[in-house]
Parts: sequence; structure tokens; C-alpha cells
Amino acid sequence: MVYDLIVIGGGPAGYLGAERAGQAGLNTLLIEKRALGGVCLNEGCIPSKTLLYSAKMYDNARYSEKYGVVSENVKFNHDKVIERKNKVVRTLVAGIKAQLKKSNVTILEGTGEIAGRSSEGYEVRINNESFIGKRLLIATGSMPILPSIPGVKEGMEKGFVLTNREILDIKEVPGSLVIVGGGVIGLEMASYFNSAGSKVTIIEMLDHIAGNNEREISDILMKTYEKKGIVFKLSSKVVEVKEGMVLYEYNRERASVEADKILMSIGRKPVVDGYGLERIGVEIENGRIKVDERGRTNVPGVYAAGDVNGYSMLAHTAYREAEVCINNILGKKDVMRYNAIPYVIYTNPEVAGVGETEETARQKGIEVEVSKISMRYSGRYLAENEGGDGICKILIDKKYRRLVGLHMIGNYSSEIIYGTAAMIEMEMRVDDIKEIVFPHPTVSEIIREGIFYL
Amino acid sequence: MAIPVIMPKQGQTVESCIIAKWHKKKGDQVKAGDILFTYETDKATFDEEAKEDGILLEIFFEEGDDVPVLTNVCVIGREGDDVSEFDPRTQIGREDKVTKTTVADKVGVEGEGEAYAANVAANVAADAAIEAAADTAADAAKQQGIGTGGETGFIRSDTGDGKIGISPRARNLAEKAGIDYRYAKPTGPHGRIIERDIISLMEKGPVFTFAAKDESLKSETKIVEEGSGIGGRITTGDLGRVQSESQVAAHASYSPGVVPGEAEFTEVKLTNIRKVIAKAMHHSLSSTAQLTLNTTFDATEILEYRKKLKENKEKLGLRNITINDIVLFAVSRTLPGHKPLNAHFLDDRMLLFNVVHLGVAVDTERGLMVPTIFYANHKSLNEISAEVKELAEECQKGTINPDLLKGGTFTVTNLGMLDIESFTPVLNPPQTGILGVNNIVQRVKEVNGQYVYYPAMGLSLTFDHRAVDGAPAARFLKDLKTNLENFSILLAK
Repeated sequence: MVYDLIVIGGGPAGYLGAERAGQAGLNTLLIEKRALGGVCLNEGCIPSKTLLYSAKMYDNARYSEKYGVVSENVKFNHDKVIERKNKVVRTLVAGIKAQLKKSNVTILEGTGEIAGRSSEGYEVRINNESFIGKRLLIATGSMPILPSIPGVKEGMEKGFVLTNREILDIKEVPGSLVIVGGGVIGLEMASYFNSAGSKVTIIEMLDHIAGNNEREISDILMKTYEKKGIVFKLSSKVVEVKEGMVLYEYNRERASVEADKILMSIGRKPVVDGYGLERIGVEIENGRIKVDERGRTNVPGVYAAGDVNGYSMLAHTAYREAEVCINNILGKKDVMRYNAIPYVIYTNPEVAGVGETEETARQKGIEVEVSKISMRYSGRYLAENEGGDGICKILIDKKYRRLVGLHMIGNYSSEIIYGTAAMIEMEMRVDDIKEIVFPHPTVSEIIREGIFYL
Repeated sequence: MAIPVIMPKQGQTVESCIIAKWHKKKGDQVKAGDILFTYETDKATFDEEAKEDGILLEIFFEEGDDVPVLTNVCVIGREGDDVSEFDPRTQIGREDKVTKTTVADKVGVEGEGEAYAANVAANVAADAAIEAAADTAADAAKQQGIGTGGETGFIRSDTGDGKIGISPRARNLAEKAGIDYRYAKPTGPHGRIIERDIISLMEKGPVFTFAAKDESLKSETKIVEEGSGIGGRITTGDLGRVQSESQVAAHASYSPGVVPGEAEFTEVKLTNIRKVIAKAMHHSLSSTAQLTLNTTFDATEILEYRKKLKENKEKLGLRNITINDIVLFAVSRTLPGHKPLNAHFLDDRMLLFNVVHLGVAVDTERGLMVPTIFYANHKSLNEISAEVKELAEECQKGTINPDLLKGGTFTVTNLGMLDIESFTPVLNPPQTGILGVNNIVQRVKEVNGQYVYYPAMGLSLTFDHRAVDGAPAARFLKDLKTNLENFSILLAK
């Protein structure tokens, strides 16, 4: 069977790419070895958001008194939370399946492996069957990095060391949870299990959390977390894990912290092995598939999108990368831009941002002017966040006076940030943004407020 | 009561002028006699003065705008006066009117033959310019597939002389919409951009991001072929890329004595006049068959004669007559006997003139100008001398009537005072000849077995071999030489 396009991997990049290709009339085959929707839907974005929402509800109920609501005997039912999470995931996966069918995409379950070139394109084998794709879209995603720390491998086998996959299906809330790695996944899980009642410790190698995010904001987030009882061990390196304990090194001194469960969340790496990429000579660079701004690999007709190209490793980036690939396959020139990709940390309070931070602007040699404003300037924020101390940072480049970055901490940030991304994409200048009407009273007004300081 | 200031009509054949510089800003207090703005025709520059005291209430056109003559340019009045009625941009029918003075318009106004000829000459020149522009636009249109919906890259409108032709209305709309009109596809007459082109640019793009739009309008950025921003928009990055691609500086080899970071050149925008000269010269050399004959003559007699004139200037009430004036006079008297050199070559026919309209090349700060001494063959040496000085002065000041910058039948250009011994003057088509006048060098000749020095003055005649053969051209030079060497006899003729 010859297909116009064979997509390997059914995560955000794969399923959306297949869907768009099918809608455009390309005869498309999608191969997924585990579950449609990939990590995002099954072991990442969606399940974690479901969990976090339950935790937020619980916190709102527990601490409702400052809002004049007295609640007693508030209980948290972890089983119910997991059950609901599974229902949400099932619903969404079913939805995706239906979408793909509607777009005339053929779905096959199994591991697709590239066997080589054929006269008509590329041969892909799955379950001992052979298919020809005139073009390929590689969307094999990424997997958690498991460091070669003594005890990790055994711990995984025994079940006390977990990755994002296992922790989202954990049967019971652990008494103590040590999270190795203070990135987005670690912070979100810390937030949930802290609310759910675990004693949470985050061990981070760097001297700050939340990776490359705006430092001031990650500092605020850390303080908020510490108030909730989460313990941070910064500039610390885990040297060994044992059942019930994590050993780490800080300032050349060894210390230990007890842990019923250990979550490894130090990062993710592209999945490039086991799919026969080498048989057609797809170029791998630093462990990721090398692509150009149109998603093309070095092999004609072979595209790659999503985490596997190692650029941004976010589901929403994957969506857009897949669309860029499909557009170029269809002969519509489209290029991927990475300067306005928003990020969100779904903690309580939420953190969101887009574009340059002061640090990245400095590295790129962009001269910026910064406006920093307390979220308390927003009436709605004040009304809904008793004791909140969020901030919003706006960065403009001095040359054009256009917006180049915006970072905020405070609830609803996640839903506000895409507007800012649009402003950056449009290279809107301070004076342009001043003309936009923001609804009142909303948290989003903080942008308008901050812009007038520039 | 507000009073509009109109773009003056400079000469019969000028249809529009370009505002070169505003000396006053909107809202400025002006006094009668203050210079409001400087404007250029294709050959000269003028200053427009305020006729009244008052406030400059409104300016309808910006620097660089090509404004049809007799159009309101600005309004002077009192605070609070309504100016809307004077706004040419709101008047219908101002769109790109190109009216050409036709031959019929003029015949009967002036004397028969030569008026006709001068007119034809003027029209030929105007036609050539217009056609060239139209050709360029047509070419561009062809390349772009205009009208066929063919969408290739973006196009820059250009009327062929490096200047973008755009109607005031279109320019205003572009300004209002804040778009770079250089990206419009011109569909107006003679490759001009008109309102509908701007509308289509607004609808079809290319579109800019906010910051890029400003940057593109602000600086003369190079045209970007393809936008990489959202929805294919052109971003500041794209503009920067085009700029940097055009700079080799980063990897240029470094040599001692070069200060790094110091600009190696300054970019100078061409003035309108420079553009016109450039076009005319190139057109001349590429469309005719030019060659130059060089000779010298013994200038003893004219030098003597000039000395006498100088000594008796006051007594005789004469102007300061120069050697150049004498050469002009001699040329005006020699040409009628050599009609093919006092002519216009029009590809399939020639106009042989019975009168001599002598073009005189004048070097000005703004560039080369060639005013005409009409009916030079009927004017005395003193009259010619006076007229040349007057014309040259007006050219220097930039106040010359453009009509005096055309209609020549033959041209004289003098580089003698700059120590040039011989050169190849460039024809002024459709003229068939141009005489270069050189410096005087001492040469030796044999007189009665004795070597004697004599002042030899060089003459360089460029002629169009399509119109004239070498021998007849040489014969003209020989006659001219004889007339100059025996100037007193010529005066008696």
C-alpha cells in the first residue's frame, strides 16, 4: 500500500500532522505504538492538569476562610482524582481518534520502523507488514532522562523510583516524595502532592528552579512553595537513591532525605533510536533529528516535528511544527518561528511567559527596557488572590520599542499569555499595545497597566 | 481668510514639480517674502515665497512629492481658518493628469517653422522620457504578470529614472494606512502608482509587522522579497537580513591604515537633476552613433580682438565679451552653411533648421544645465554675450525658466578654462552635433622660414554619424576654424 504520507508517532505532532494532512486530501497513515495522544495526553499535560485542578479545589476549600467561607471536614480523595483523570484522558483520546477517522487517516497500532528507500518513497514496516510512504513525518517524541545514579535502575524495577508516567497513576499519596529536578514537571507534581498531603522535597542541581524562566518570577514561586511547606535543596546533586532515602551532595557535603517515592524529572531527551532512521541516513545532531525552519530533515521528503527535533519540547510547539511540515508538504511555504512560544507552569499560582527574559536578551545582545509591576494593580487579581504577591514583567527592545518578552506569575496567566504571543509575533510596539482595549476587571489588564510604564 | 499657495507653473511644458525641501513647518508663523518651500522641475530648482503674512495652517504635500502645477501645496491664514476646501487630496479628478502640450496648441502662437521645430523638439524629449518610464513599467508589469493574477515576489515600483512615480492621492492613502508604497504594483499611466494600487497592496500585501512597517517607512530599507513572520509578514528581522546581506563589511579584508568601524563610503541620494542627467547621458550614448573630431586653430586674432574690446568696453557700451562668446558667435554664423549639424535626427527623418538655437552648457552646483540662446544667428556678439551671462546666472541661482532649457539645435560646451586640451563631448539628442571648446596651448609654426609660437585653441566636435558623415563634419570644423582665425572678416559678413 502506498501512502502520500506516513506519520510515525501519534502524539501532538503526529496526530495533528496526520489530521491536517488527511484534511488536505493526502492519503495518510499514522503509526502509534502506545496510545494516541502521546505523552501529552496520556502521561503529561492533560492528566497533570486534571490532578492539579483537584488540588486547587482542595486548597480553595481548605483555605476559604480568608474569603469569608467556612468549610469543615474537607477531605481529599486521591483515588477519585485518579479515576476522574482517567476519564478525562479517555474522552480526549476518543475525540482524537474520531477526528483522525473523520480526516480519513488510517491508524495502525505498533512500532513503525523505516526499512529503507523504495522507488516510490520510503518503506516502513509495522507488525511484519510493509507500507510505502512518499513522504515521512517523524514524530517519535521524547522520553525522560534517567541519570546513571546508583540505585535508579533498581528503584525503577522495584517501583519506588518513578517518572512522569508512573506517578500519574500512583495508587496512594506517598508520605514523603523527593523530586529530583526542579523543572516544570517536578514543580507541578510537587504542587499536587504537597496539596494531597505528601512531604515534598525538591532537589535541584542549579541554584534556582524553573530552568531558564525569568529569575525574579521563579524566586517568587519558590517562596510561595516554601510557605506551603515544600523543601528545596538547591545547588545539590543526587549521588545515590535507596529504598526510602535519597543521598545528595551539597557544597561537597553529603546529606540524605527520606523518601517513600522518588520522582525523576531532570529533563527529557528525543527518541531517535529504534525507528530505522539510520537506514535512510537521517541526520542526528546532539541526539536530536536535525531539521530546518520548515521541518525538513536532510533527507528529501522526510520531515520531523515535535520533541524529536529537540527545539522546545512543548506540545503547543509540536502542533505548530507539525502544521509547518504539512504546509510545506502541500507546497505552501511556511516557516517555524521560535521567538514567541509561550510557556506555562500550572502551579498554584500559575506562571506564564513568552519571548525573551532579561537573561536571554542579554545573551542575544538585545538592549531591553523593562517594566515590572505588581499583579495587585489588577482589581480582579486583588479580589481573588488574598495575600497574592504576583508580578508581571514586560520587556521591550529599545531599538524598535516593540514587545519582546512578558512574564507573569498569578492565576489566569496561562489563559492570558497567548495574546502576548500574538503581540510579539506581530512585533507590536508599545504605542500599538496602548491602543488595545482589555476587558475590565480582569487579570489581563495588568499588561495594559505595565505597558503605560514604558 | 485662508489663502492657498499653489505650485507655480514654470514654463509651458512643465506639468508637475517635486517639492525638494520645506523651509517652514505646519503651524509656523510666516511673513511675506519668507521662503516656504523649494521645488524642482526636471532641470531646475526654485524657491517659492510666501505672498502674505500669517500662519502656515496646512501642508498638503511632503518633501519628495511630485505635485501637478497649479495644485494647492499649502495654506496660509489665521488661526482657526478652515482649510478643508483647499485640500487637493479631497478634490476629485486630481488623479494623474498628464496633459501634453500638443503641436497644435502652439502653432499659430509663434512664428511658423522654428516654433514648430522647437515644439517638436520639446515634445520629442518629453515623449522619450514618458515612453522610457512606460516601458519600464510595462516590463515590470510583464515580469510580474500584472493583470493575470500572477503572484511572484514583491515588486518595487519604479518609473525607470530611479524615482518612484506615485500620485498624490495614492501617496496620501499609503501614508494614512501606514504602508510602504514602494511595494505597490503600479498600474497607472506611465508606470505611476495610483490609488487602486495602494488599495490592492493593502488587501493583498505584502504585510508588515507593526515594528517592521515603521522601520521600512522610516529608513530606505531594501525591498524584502519574502516575509518570514506570521502570515508571511515582513518582520524587522527580514529587513535587517536584507541590510546585512548587502554589507560585505563583516568579512572584508582588513588593511593597515583603515580604521575599523569607520564607514568606507557615504550613501548620497541622487538629486532629481542628477537622475535626469544620468538618464540623458546614458540615453545619448546608447542610442546614437557618436564620434569626435579634434582640431586646433590659431587664436591670435580673436585674442587680439578681445583685448581691444576689453580696453574699449566702457567707451563702446559693450559687455565683458569673452573668448567663449566669440566662439559662440562664430558657431552661430558657421552652422547655417552646414545644415545637417544644425539639425534634429528623428530616426526616420531629420529636421534641418534654418535658424540657430544655440545650447550652452553651464556648470552649476546642482549639476550640468544647458540653456538655449534662441535665434543666435540673428543676434550680435554683444547680445549673445549678454544673454549667455544672464542664462548662466539664472542656472546658477536655479531660477531659470525650464522652457529655456530645451529647444536647442546645436550645443557648445567649454572646458578650456579647466585646462582640457581635447575631449569627447556627449551629444544632446536629437541634436546631431556638439562642439567642445578647449584651452589654448602654445604651438610652433613656420613663418617665412622662422619658427614662431602661436596660441593654438582646441576644438572637439562630436557628431552623430547616423546623420552626418565624417567629411561634412570635418568641413564644418574647417569652416569654423577659418571663421575664428579670420574673425574680423566674419564680423564684416
